[in-house]
Parts: sequence; C-alpha cells; structure tokens
Amino acid sequence: MKLARIRVEQFKQFRQAIEIKHLEPGLNLFTGPNEAGKSTLVSAIRAAFFERHRSGSVDELRPWGDASAAPSVELEFTVGDKTYTLSKSFLSKKRCELTIDAQGKIQRLDGAEAEDHLAELLGFQHAGKGVSKAEHWGIPGLLWIQQGTAHDIRESVGNATDHLRGALNESLGEVASSGGDEVLAKIEAARNELLTPAAGKAKGPYLEAETQVAALTAEVQALDAEIAAYRQKVDALAGLRREHAADLAEQPWLGFRKEQKAAADKLAAIQRVEENLAAEKQRANQIEARLALLRSQLDTHASQEQAVEARNAALEAARQARTAAAGLVEQWTAQRTEAASRYDAARATLRRARQEDTRLSLTRQSNDIQHKIESTAAALSKAEAAQTARLELQRQAAASEIKPADLTTLREQHRQLRELRIQQDASATRLRYSLDAGRDIRIGDEALTGSGERRLIEETGLLLPGLGRLEIAPGGADLSQLRRKQAELADKQAALLQRLGLSDLDAAEARHQTHAQRLAEVASADATLKALAPLGVEALRGELAASQARAGEIGLALGKLPAATEVDEKLPAISVVEAAEEAAAQSLAQIDASLHKEQLAAGNAQAAFEAASRELAAARAVLDAPERAARVAASKRDLVDTRAEQSTLAGRIETLAKQVGEAHPDILRQDVERYGKSAEQHEKRFSERRDTLLRLEVELQAAGARGLEERRAELARDLAQAQRRAEELRRRAAALDHLLKLLREKRRALTRKLQAPLQKHLNRYLQLLFPQASLEIDADLSPGPLTRTRANGTESGDFEALSFGAREQMGVISRLAYADLLREAGRPTLIILDDALVHSDEERLAQMKRVLFDAATRHQILLFSCHPANWRDLGVGARSLPEIRLDSAAGGG
Amino acid sequence: MVKLLHTADWQIGKLFGQFEPEDAALLAEARFKTVERIAALATEHKVDLVLVAGDVFDAQGVADKTIHRLFNALQGYAGPWLLIPGNHDAALSESVWTRAARLHAIPANARVCLTPEPVLFEAIGVAVLPAPLTQRNTHTDLTETFAATETPAGLLRVGLAHGSVQGILAEGIDSSNPIAAGRAEQAGLDYLALGDWHGAKQVDARTWYSGTHETDRFKANDSGQALLVELVGPGAPPVVTQLATGQYRWLTETLALQVPSDLELARQRIAGFGPADVVQLNLAGRTDLDGDRRLREAIEQARGKARCLLADLSALRLEPTPEDIDALHADGYLGEVVAELQADQDDPDGVRAEVARDALALLASLLDTQRRNAGAAP
Repeated sequence: MKLARIRVEQFKQFRQAIEIKHLEPGLNLFTGPNEAGKSTLVSAIRAAFFERHRSGSVDELRPWGDASAAPSVELEFTVGDKTYTLSKSFLSKKRCELTIDAQGKIQRLDGAEAEDHLAELLGFQHAGKGVSKAEHWGIPGLLWIQQGTAHDIRESVGNATDHLRGALNESLGEVASSGGDEVLAKIEAARNELLTPAAGKAKGPYLEAETQVAALTAEVQALDAEIAAYRQKVDALAGLRREHAADLAEQPWLGFRKEQKAAADKLAAIQRVEENLAAEKQRANQIEARLALLRSQLDTHASQEQAVEARNAALEAARQARTAAAGLVEQWTAQRTEAASRYDAARATLRRARQEDTRLSLTRQSNDIQHKIESTAAALSKAEAAQTARLELQRQAAASEIKPADLTTLREQHRQLRELRIQQDASATRLRYSLDAGRDIRIGDEALTGSGERRLIEETGLLLPGLGRLEIAPGGADLSQLRRKQAELADKQAALLQRLGLSDLDAAEARHQTHAQRLAEVASADATLKALAPLGVEALRGELAASQARAGEIGLALGKLPAATEVDEKLPAISVVEAAEEAAAQSLAQIDASLHKEQLAAGNAQAAFEAASRELAAARAVLDAPERAARVAASKRDLVDTRAEQSTLAGRIETLAKQVGEAHPDILRQDVERYGKSAEQHEKRFSERRDTLLRLEVELQAAGARGLEERRAELARDLAQAQRRAEELRRRAAALDHLLKLLREKRRALTRKLQAPLQKHLNRYLQLLFPQASLEIDADLSPGPLTRTRANGTESGDFEALSFGAREQMGVISRLAYADLLREAGRPTLIILDDALVHSDEERLAQMKRVLFDAATRHQILLFSCHPANWRDLGVGARSLPEIRLDSAAGGG
Repeated sequence: MVKLLHTADWQIGKLFGQFEPEDAALLAEARFKTVERIAALATEHKVDLVLVAGDVFDAQGVADKTIHRLFNALQGYAGPWLLIPGNHDAALSESVWTRAARLHAIPANARVCLTPEPVLFEAIGVAVLPAPLTQRNTHTDLTETFAATETPAGLLRVGLAHGSVQGILAEGIDSSNPIAAGRAEQAGLDYLALGDWHGAKQVDARTWYSGTHETDRFKANDSGQALLVELVGPGAPPVVTQLATGQYRWLTETLALQVPSDLELARQRIAGFGPADVVQLNLAGRTDLDGDRRLREAIEQARGKARCLLADLSALRLEPTPEDIDALHADGYLGEVVAELQADQDDPDGVRAEVARDALALLASLLDTQRRNAGAAP
C-alpha cells in the first residue's frame, strides 16, 4: 500500500486545508516543531479508515470552537495495481466516497460499503458503537505506531493475531490442525479436574478418592489392631480357663495349709516349753534378789558394830581437842589482863598531859584578849568625838542650805528684771536739760539743776518753777506694759526673797557658797570617823563588849582547872603520850581477838565432844537392842537355804533352754508364715484368675457382639472399591497429563515451525541492531525473551524486562517483521511512526535508521519527528509541515 | 438306607470387595439364600441328617444379625443338622459358636460339635465322629482318634472333619489342619465328610469334600454343590450324588484378538454372559479404534446382563489405522500425538506403555465424541 496524496480540512489543528502530494513509495520524513500538526495528520489518516463517517462520537475531530465544521480527509493510495481515492467527511457533512481505479476500470463505493471494503482490505474492524478502539484496529493498529506506544506491543499484536496467523498459515500453505486446540483445551480441562495445574497434585474427585482410600486404610488398620487384640484375648481366655480348671482340680493351696498347721502345732508345743523356761528364769531372778537382800542385812549388822568402835575413837579425839583448846584460852586470858593494865596507865598519863596543855592555852588566850579590850576602848573614845564634830558640821550645812531651784529662780528673775530695765531705758523719753545756773525745775519732789538727762518712763509732772507745770507722757504703748511686768516680777522676787529670808540675790549666792563649804567639811569628818571605826562606832562598841565577855569566860575556865602539880609540869610532849596510848590500845585489841578465837575453838571442841558422846551412846543403843542377835542368826540361816535353791533352779533352766534351742522356734515360725503365704498366693491367684476370666468373658462377649471381623470385611470391601476408583482416576489422570504434555509439546514444535517465516524477518532486523542476538516469539506471536551475546556471556531476559529504549526499538523492528510477513501474504502494509525512537541513543538510532531504510525498500513508511537533525542521514529529504501548511494556504488561496 | 446331605464352607459373612457395591451385596446375600436352598433340598430328598463340615462362618467376628440370619436359614429342613467348626470359625474359648449359644440363635434341631465326642443318632442308625477345630490352625491330625473311638455296633460310622487330606491337595498349600490319607478305611468309617476345599472332590471311595455351597472365587472348580450321600448299610460303599446348589457361576474368560474376525467372536462370547454369571474377562491382542470401541460397547452391554463383570483390557493393544486417524480428523500435531502414543504402547517400561494406551484410548474417545457431535450437528 502506498499513500500518494493526503488532504485534510477543518480537522483539529487544520482549520484551513492542508495537502501533501507526491508521497514517496518508501521513506517519507515529516518534521516540524510541537503543535505543528504532525499528530493531527496521523489522526486524520486513522480517522479516515477507522471511524464511520456517520459516527456521532468523533467531536474531537473538529477544530476547537468551530461547531459547524465538517472535518474532512481525502486520501489517494495504491494497493497492488489498484488506485484508491477516499474522500471522507464527518459531523456537519457526513460523507464517504471511495473510487477504485483498477487499470482504468472504475468502481465507486459509498458510505458504509466503502468503509467495509477498506476494513476488509487493510485488516481492521469498525466499532459497533462509539469511537473506534484499539481492539478494532487489527493490522493498522500494529503498523501505525502512535506517539509513545512503540514499546507497548503485546496488545497491538493481540488485536492483530488472527491476521498474523492467517498470514503465517498462508505462507506455510497448510493447515496446522483443524481441531487441535479444541482437543487440547478439553484435555487440559479434563486433566485439571483431577490434577492441580502447576504442581500436578491430586485434586477434585481424584483427591477425594485418595483421601477415602487413606481413611479406609486407616480404619481397616485400626480394626485389624482391634481384631488382633480380640484374638489375643480369646487365646488368653483359653489359657486362663485351662489353668483355672487345673487349679480347681488340684487345689494346691490345701497342701500348704496342712503344712502350715503342722508347723504351727510344733511351734505351739515349743512355745509352752519357752513359757516354762521364762517362769523358771523369773524365779531365779527372784532368788537372786532375795540373796542380795540377805547379804545386805548381814552387812548392816556388821556395820553397826563397826560404827560403835568408830564412835569411841571419835569421842576420844574430841576429848583431846577440847583439852588443848582450854589450855590456849587460859594462856591468852593472862596475856589480856596484862595488856589491859598497860593500857589504863597510858590513858591516865594522856589525861594529865592534856589538862596541862589546856591550861597553857587558856592563859595565853586570856592575855591576848586583855590587850584587845584596851585598844578597842581607846579607838572607841576617839571615834565618839569625831562623830560629835561631824554632827555639828552637818547641822551647819543644813542651816545654810538653799535649794538649787530657788537659786536658779532668783537668778532668772534678776536677769529678767535687768532686761526689763534696759527695755524701759530704750523706750523711755529722754529729758535732757541744761538749766541756767541757779534755776531749777522740779520733777515731783526732786529738783533738777544744771544740765543732765532724765529718762522718763511714765507720765511725769515737770514743774517749771515759775512757769507752771509740764506734764510729760512718754510715748509708746509698751512702756506701761513693761512697767507692769517689772512690778510683777519685782513682787515675785520680793516674795521669794522673803520666803528665803534673804535680802537679795547676792545674799543668796553667798549662802549657797557657805553651804558648799559646810558639805565639804562634813565629808572630811566622815573620812576621819571611817578611819577610826571602819565598821561604825556601834560595831566598835560591840567588839569591845564581846572581848570583855570572852575574857570572862576564859577566866572561868581557868578557874575550873585543878591546880597544877609538879609532876605534871614534867610530863613529856602530848604527842608522845598519845602514841604510847595508841600502841597500848592496839596490843590490847590484838590480844582480845586471839583470846576470842581460842574461846570459840574451845566452844567448838566442847560441842564436838558432846556430839561424839551422843553418837556413841546411840550406836551402842543399837547394838544393845534385845532382838538383834536373833535376827542376825535368822539372816545367816536364810542365806544358806536360798543358795541351795538357786543352784537347783540353774540346773532346771539349763535343761529347758537346751530343749528350746534344739527345736528352732524362729525357723518354725518362718515355716508357718511361708506355708501360709504360699497357700494365700495360690488362693489369691485362683480368685484373681477367676475375676480376670469373668472380665474377659464379658469383654469378649461385648466385643463379639460388635461383629468386628464382619465390619472389617465390609471396610475391606469398601477399601477395595475405593482403591479401584482411585486407581482408575490415577490412570486417567496420568493418561490425561501425559496426553496434555504431549499435545503441548507437539503444538509448540509446530508453532515454532509455523513461526519460522516471522522469525526469519525478525532476525534480519535484529541482526542489524544486536548482532548474534535472538528474539523468541511466543505462542501469541508477541516478542518473547531476548537472548544476547555480550562480553561476559549469554544473557536472556523477557521483553518486558528490557529498558524502555530497547523495548521501543524491539517494538519497531517486530512491527517491521510483521509488515514483511503480511506483505508476503499479500496484505497491504503502510508503516507510520509518530515521533518514535525518541528514547534511542545515537548509536542505536543509527542502527535503527539502517533498519528503517532497509524496511522502506519493501514498505511505505511515514515518519514524523520534531527532531529533524536526528534524521538528517536517513537518505530522504525532510518535509517541513509548517512549510506545507504555508504552501497549501497559498495554493488554496 | 440312610440319606445324608453333606455340605461345607458356607463362609457366611464373606463380602466381595472386588465388585461394585450392589453386586457384592448380592453375592454376599446369595450365601444365605443357598443355605436356604440346601434346607429345601434336604427336605425334598427326605434326608435323615445334614452334615456341615466346618467354616460355616467366614470369621468369628460376624455381626449378631448375621448369626441369627444363618440359623434362620436352616428352617427349611426340620431334621437334624450337625455342624462342626472349621479354621475360620474354630471352637475357641470364645467363638462365634459360644456367641450363637448365648444369643439362643441355634435351633433345637441343629447341633454344633465343639468337642470330639461321637454323636449318636440311634433312631436313624448313625454315629457321627466329629473332629472340630479348637484352634485356628493345628498341625495335629484331629481324625487320629477316630479309629480308637468306639461306637455302638450296628450304627453307621460317619466322620465329620475339616482340613487338608495329605498327599491329595497340591503340595505346600494350606498344610495346616492335616488329615491323613485313607482315614476312612483306617478308622472303619462308612463315610468321611470333609470341608475346607471349595470345589467338590472325591478323595477316595468313602471320602469326599463337598465344596462350598455357593461359589466364592474364580479358581474354585466344581463348587456350588452339596452331596447327597446314601448309605445302604455298614461296610457298604456310599452312593454319592452331586446336587447343584449355587446361584452364581464364576467364570474366567480370556479372549485374545489376533485377527479381525476374532473381534466378532469375542463380542458374541461377551454377549453370551447371563444373569447368573460372575465374570473375570481378560482381553489381549490388538485392535483398531473401531474394534476397541465396539468391544467396550459389548462389555458395557454385558455389564447390564451378567451379575458381575470384571474386564481387564490392559493386555489389549490399540492400533489405530490410517482410516481411523482420518476419520477422527487427527490431523496436524494431533496426528503426531496419536502416532507417538501408538508407538509407546510397546514401551518396555510397563507403566509408560499403560499410560500411552490409556492416553490413546482417551484421545480416541474424545475425538470420536467430537466427530459424532460434529456429524450430529446439522
């Protein structure tokens, strides 16, 4: 298919008509910046084919804002030797015309007929309703790559699979299998009913059958165990019954019981002997005790006699001790008498010495006190004189006393008066006169002559002799006030002075001086008196009296003393006498102590002697008791008799003990126990066995009623059936699984064979891009894993795992391969790349250009790009869309 | 003249797991029914005594109900029944017999010999010497004591035992419970009634196995009978008549398809099975898809007629002809699959061969169904 001319009008961006003529049969490159209308042109081509002209859902084809537009597209193209002219407009003017020129044979198709013809020709479908979608696009959807979708190929391939398959089959010229896929699907479904799809494990009825087999097997095994147990019990029952019957017949315990009884009888007999022996032994013990008693009685008698002897000896000893003690007392008594007299003498000497000493002392004291009386009396008379003088002074001082307050008042009054006078002076009217000689004037009674000055402080009558009388009244108000004050003050002063008995202030001052003088004199007199009698005159007087009383007492004491003798006057010093007395006293005390001690010892010896005498008497009384001799004789007789009895008994005991020893009663006792236990065990075993039998019989009856073996047979039957079913299902599953695998394997091989032509085309391009790489094609004919040889080995990865750029490149070359395949099958091919390969690097892009150039030798390719520089070496001239628009506008005028 | 009916190995309670449940139930049921028939035959032939030579029950642990049913089945003959235990129902200390006694299931006219004491039927002139098994298996000959056992003069001496007569049966088979050959002669018996062998068999002039009353396995020959024994008098040889009792015939049929015409013969043979037949059918040889289909068809039809039909087609090789494959439209890779499966049927690995055979049959049937559906469609 080769597009020759495109004309678009009132279509999206193209409000004005744009026409592209003379399209090349191979590569056509259209460039222009964004918004230049590249994609609009592509959508115009798509709309011309895909959209029904009557479609009401193609509003977006209108130029924006032009509601009345009739978007229209005109295409001229050839397929094989036919030339097609398609004229289609939408919305406002719904029209579709197709002219087919087959070597001059013209065919015209209109409307839907024309559209259906084209769909059939190019291999797509129309949408039943609404806008055409990817699922309808078929081959053009695959070959017309929209902006940004080159990498996304799987869906496009899916929408074109039927056409591609058709092309493949056609190229292969044979039918792969008429119903193979249907069979495969059925086998797969059947298999998946029995096996899990991935792991191939049992499921559904197969799993149920196997589960049932397992369950039944387990049940059968459980029953087998029960049956085995049951059989064992049956066998045990038989054995037990045999033993039971044997025991019943034999009754072995009876023999043991008999033996037990015999042993017990023997034991009883020997036990009687043992009792006898014990009795005799007890008797022997009694005799032994009696013997001991008798012996002790005899011992007592002997000891009584010994006691008397001992007491005699003791008494003698006590007597001697008493005599010795009395001797000692006597000696010490003499000693004491002597010491006492010595002591008395010492004491008398001491008394006399002390008396002399007192006398001496009193005489000395008497002398002393007489001296004191004399001196005290002298001091007293002087002090009394001084005291009298002082009293006179004190009286004088009191008489001259003026109270300091009065004195101060007087002084103040005096000062005030003086001040008042000064003030009067100041305010007084001065009367200066200078009288002619012999002339006078009279003021009051006073006559003034000569010259002088007077101060007038009050109305003064001035008699001018011969002239009359002048009355001068001094001016100023206060003069009279002053005068009044002065008068008051003067009165006060006069009153005070009168009270004090003084004439004036000077007198007061003089009296104050006198008083001070007198006070000083009193102080001086006080000092004199203090020196004479520090404690006062009365104390001095008391002292004198005391001394006098003392002198009296001493005199009395002296008087009482006996008169002194001459001897007395020669006595040694009192200390010597005192020491002698002390020594005599001590000596006496020591001797007293010794005497006392010896007296005590003598007392004790006396007591001991008395006690010994009493004890001897008591002991002798015992011996002298009247029945004692008879008792002693009886005891001796008894002792002899008892000894004889003891010896007889010992013989009997020996005989009995021998008898017992020979009979082995402990062994006999063991025999009794052994036979008893044996019998008991047999009886016990017998009864236990009987119980076990009963229990077992009951158990077996119960178990038998359950029909275990019949139940097992039923289960075994069910199990066999389940196993048969499981086996059938297993075989079926195995067969289906095998069949499915085989079918898939064969189908895959066939698919590979069928896909060979596509692979061939793909490889051609792939080698240009990635030398030695291989791209697998999966069952859906989509590109599968890409295997590349690299420096570090071979590497394989899913298509989806490739980088965006690589996927885009693979997307383009896959589409070119599909185009080759379709072309070989005689299908029209047109390839449109709208801004494709923008994610390719320079190197890859260079390879892709080689690929495109190669593909363009077989297909027409429309390539739109906004990067003209990238495609400069494509080998074709780029056509600029803006320029075409300009040309079209100019052409369309 | 004394008439005895000799039977054995009823094996009541036996089930048949190898068959489908409903078939198995019928076979189990038949064992009771046939006992009833024996009772009827005993009455019909006016016999004096019925002897049952052991293995009355298949196991000790049968259900109470089963015990009751068995003894109820004896009702049809009012004369005396004498039963002994066999190895399956030995007279153990606790056994199906002690249970039957406890359940009061044993009718008055039936007597079970649990000990080897002679039973005297003076009215009919017979003394029976029983040799009941008291253990599951024994290696002593229980009939040893027969010779020394005195019976009143004038009474016929009849032995009743269960076990293997030495030297008669195949070597090594069930050598337990032995019975010396010539025991009847040696013990002065007029007749020795034996059980254990499931087919009817005459051992010597006076010694017989009656076989089981109702066939229970494919290999048992001459089973499904009871023996009518007529004794004219002491010393006289017994006259033994075989009476058919069995309800079902057990057949093992092996059909080999070698040439095309074998197919039709096989189909006829299969079509010939009747409602009394319990069949084990083994098919071998080779056939094409059509033949296989027709065989299977015949087998399905026969299943509806025969009592039980077990078919083993594992030895039958499928060989689709080119026409088959054409007819199935097994074109393209399907054709390849068919060819490979066909070849794999001969794989020395038996499992692989089997899988291949099954897979081929499955595929063929699927394709066949598809073709028919397509053909049926307008």
